[in-house]
Amino acid sequence: MDHIRNFCIIAHIDHGKSTLADRLIQRCGAVDPREFRDQILDSMDLERERGITIKANTVSMPYTARDGRTYELNLIDTPGHVDFSHEVRRSLMSCEGALLIVDASQGVEAQTVANLYLAMELGLQVVPVINKIDLPSADVDRVMEEIDRDLGLDPFASIQVSAKLGTGIDDLLEAIVTQLPPPKGVPEEPLRALLFDAQYDPYRGALLLVRLFDGKLRAGTRVRFMHSGQEHKVEEVGWQRLKHIPVPELSAGEVGYVLAGIKSLSGLAIGDTLTEAERPAAEPVPGYREAKPVVFSSIYPMATDEYEDLTKALEKLKLNDAALIYEKDSSAALGFGFRCGFLGLLHLDVLQERLEREYDLSLILSAPSVRYRIVLADGSEVWVDNPTFYPDPGSIQESYEPYIKATIMTPERYLGTVMELCRERRGVETTFNYLAAGRMEVISQLPLAEVLFDFYDRLKSITQGYGSFDYELLDYRLADLVKVDILVNGEKVDALSQLVHREFARPRALRYCERLASTIPRQQFKIAIQGAIGGQIIARTTINAFRKDVTAKCYGGDISRKRKLLEKQKEGKKRMKMVGAVEIPQAAFVAVLKTEAPADEE
Amino acid sequence: MPPPSASRPGLYVHVPFCAQVCPYCDFSVLRGGAAARRRYVEHLLAEVPLAAADWSDPDPFDTVYFGGGTPSILPAAELARVLETCRRHLPLVDEPWTCLEANPEDVTPESCAEWRGLGVRMLSLGVQSFDDAALRFLERAHDSARARAAVETALAAGFATVSVDLIYGLPDQDEAAWRRQLEALVALAPDHVSCYQLTIHPRTRFGVAAARGKLRELPDERQAALFELTHRFLADAGWPSYEVSNFARGPEQRSRHNRKYWDHTPYLGLGPSAHSLAVATPTSARRFWNELRTPHWERRLAAGERPLEGEERLGPRELATEALMLGLRTAEGVDLDAFTQRYGFDLEASNAPLLVELQASGQLVLRDRRLVPTLSGLAVADGLAAAFTIPS
Ligand SMILES: Nc1nc2c(ncn2[C@@H]2O[C@H](COP(=O)(O)OP(=O)(O)OP(=O)(O)O)[C@@H](O)[C@H]2O)c(=O)[nH]1
Ligand SMILES: C[S@@+](CC[C@H](N)C(=O)[O-])C[C@H]1O[C@@H](n2cnc3c(N)ncnc32)[C@H](O)[C@@H]1O
Ligand code: SF4
Ligand SMILES: [Mg+2]
Repeated sequence: MDHIRNFCIIAHIDHGKSTLADRLIQRCGAVDPREFRDQILDSMDLERERGITIKANTVSMPYTARDGRTYELNLIDTPGHVDFSHEVRRSLMSCEGALLIVDASQGVEAQTVANLYLAMELGLQVVPVINKIDLPSADVDRVMEEIDRDLGLDPFASIQVSAKLGTGIDDLLEAIVTQLPPPKGVPEEPLRALLFDAQYDPYRGALLLVRLFDGKLRAGTRVRFMHSGQEHKVEEVGWQRLKHIPVPELSAGEVGYVLAGIKSLSGLAIGDTLTEAERPAAEPVPGYREAKPVVFSSIYPMATDEYEDLTKALEKLKLNDAALIYEKDSSAALGFGFRCGFLGLLHLDVLQERLEREYDLSLILSAPSVRYRIVLADGSEVWVDNPTFYPDPGSIQESYEPYIKATIMTPERYLGTVMELCRERRGVETTFNYLAAGRMEVISQLPLAEVLFDFYDRLKSITQGYGSFDYELLDYRLADLVKVDILVNGEKVDALSQLVHREFARPRALRYCERLASTIPRQQFKIAIQGAIGGQIIARTTINAFRKDVTAKCYGGDISRKRKLLEKQKEGKKRMKMVGAVEIPQAAFVAVLKTEAPADEE
Repeated sequence: MPPPSASRPGLYVHVPFCAQVCPYCDFSVLRGGAAARRRYVEHLLAEVPLAAADWSDPDPFDTVYFGGGTPSILPAAELARVLETCRRHLPLVDEPWTCLEANPEDVTPESCAEWRGLGVRMLSLGVQSFDDAALRFLERAHDSARARAAVETALAAGFATVSVDLIYGLPDQDEAAWRRQLEALVALAPDHVSCYQLTIHPRTRFGVAAARGKLRELPDERQAALFELTHRFLADAGWPSYEVSNFARGPEQRSRHNRKYWDHTPYLGLGPSAHSLAVATPTSARRFWNELRTPHWERRLAAGERPLEGEERLGPRELATEALMLGLRTAEGVDLDAFTQRYGFDLEASNAPLLVELQASGQLVLRDRRLVPTLSGLAVADGLAAAFTIPS
């Protein structure tokens, strides 16, 4: 077992994890040169287009070290964005070591710190790696100082590399085998394999990625999931190289895949432990923490007859995205859908795109919301993340909203504007510290709800891209909350209701009204669009009626042509949602509900 | 809506020739010299028996409409041959109400006398404008003096109905300019007027210019203003509208042929692009149409074939959709009970909130169990029709 190394590559977004993984994979000859492409582990189209890693990816590769021995390196490349920290945690769980990458010109950033803590919490050995030393703006000395001061790691143990040029890769590989520990675990003990990822294959069923802590696993073994109790017969086990390579057996310490003909996905949960049905282990591997969603949104299919497809798609995606949480929901305007919980706005955005691309669905998402704690007059308490279930204001005694501790790292020159942004977003107890050389850390306590609303974008733009941001949930605090409804010709459009802080109700309502006014086409009559709190109108716009919409001539007997045009027009209307007598095209919902572009990178 | 058998079928003859092709026109038209016209007439004569063999309605045709194109381009003798052949193969009343479209340059006391001799009762004049600049913009062959002279000549010739076609809503045309046209029109006092708002069709020279940004359609508000001006002005002057683009001094002067298109009275069309409707029962009909382009139409006939390009079966749903769409374009509107009775769809029951909304916004009125568009409703009649639900 001491020839195995299980390790993650962790870092702040864009510090070069995936590029470094490329070099390691190439150096180990784990990929045919003809099949190689940059950021080869970012296999999803979405990842390639956005240039970011969304899902952790595992690859096994053989490495012959300077000591002459051949090691099996199981590498997991992880995403850097804060929204996917659940992926990072999940990956770290199945490793003994981690490479913590720091960009030689950017230095230590918010997620560098956060991911280091995560690795330490799980007891992993961490090797700091300074990447991008080829950059003219690289400042290795400064970064070494930051590694020392901000991370508390030994800067002289760090390896300097350029993932781009391949410099330092040999030293890094040696460090992996010499500085990172091999897995512990006993092959003779009863099987304990942690299910840490899965994907769905329409032909072979669920493909499970497991890390064996104890025992052995081979085809024919009857396995039991220790949490769900389900049992399956293993059909095939193998290594997750860039392709799947079947092997006769996986043994303690190893990472590999398992196929067991699992077609029904219900009950299958990432974090579960596989054991042998015949000889079960006493205790499962300590599981992950359940993902704690902080952002909620309802997802509806554009076409109501796609609800079934959406249901199946979510079931499959859930396998691949352990942080996703959902339950049934419905709206008068948009029909049946799901209320989903996310780890952040980018997570939400990615889920939407994956559903649309991988499952060919067209969706409408309601405005993202946080979860509020509401104390009613009778002293009872309810949790509300969906405006639909907001209690009658008369029965509410107090509302509480989640606060976060935001840690923002920024060059010193933007300190003033960053502090101002925090104040604007109702931040309290905003403080700052000097970090190494010209960099500042701003810490502020902010309502999470205000961060959902284009905070990333604003931060990025005011710091010209240099600001980075991390947060952790703090606690719940008293909130002056109101429910803003949107009315179209007096009828409430339930899917557009939102819970907001009183101070922001009017501008938010106006923004919705204006977006609706610019996307609902003119109709036969004037349309009044209003924002209201209870009975009180706080914003309004109108759409004037068509004044001229008639063809001059009917072309003699050619009535068919005109009728077909009309039928086509009516067909188009079927895809519109009716609110009273007003037709609202899907596009209007999409435009209104479109979240501000979440940060793809900070 | 009167049941179909209450009205006798109409006969339409399409004459595709024009001296020049106007830049806005998307009818089946072509230039073509005397030889081409003679060839066309021969083919038309050949079409009559083929069409007649398939026409089983025993009711005699009581209207004949020569449309185009420019039917006035054909010598009266040729028109007479066509009529004779039709009478030989098809049931035709003794004195059908006959209409001829004429371009001003073809209108002389002599030609009028010949047309009268053919039995033409309504002469429809393609005047388009009494303004020389507008006529040049529309690339018409005549000028305003010729236009006026043609109307006067026609009025003096003793037709039962003289009609004038005008086009409005030209780019840059303001209300004052269009009002002057309307004044010129009523000063001549024709019996019937058609005022068509300029439509820019994609596959025309204007359409191409518009796509390239060289021609701009009037904005909605200005089109609406001109539309209302037209209807109010003509109503005040004694020509109330009976349809979106048609105005008549009195019910007698309305086009008896065109209304058949609007209420599912059967019609038979001859010549390229002509459409026909054969009505089997009140809720089932067949619409069929000829090859659009003259050469194709001729080739099919030369091969001894019926020159049909397509056909369509109309069931209650299609017929109801059309009746609603066309009814809302007329001053008579849609008779709710007759509609339910004929097509089996209760418009009122299935569109209750819409009807309330449309009446409240002043686009429709419910009068004597009829849905009647108001002037502002007429201006958006296409949208009105689309707003209704015809239940399945
Ligand atoms: N100059 C230089 N650029 C590098 C180096 N390593 C990575 N990059 C560039 O940095 C950018 C980000 O690289 P990735 O490998 O996608 O970064 P990542 O850490 O995987 O990013 P996420 O997965 O989104 O967190 C890309 O444009 C790379 O080409 C390096 O050593 N030198
Ligand atoms: C069937 S056309 C033929 C009549 C005749 N050939 C003429 O153009 O003078 C009947 C009328 O349709 C109108 N028309 C033709 N094309 C039009 C267009 N693109 N927009 C508005 N009206 C049009 C003209 O007023 C024309 O007189
Ligand atoms: S004269 Fe009439 S039919 Fe001929 S091209 Fe012009 S608009 Fe069309
Ligand atoms: Mg990456």
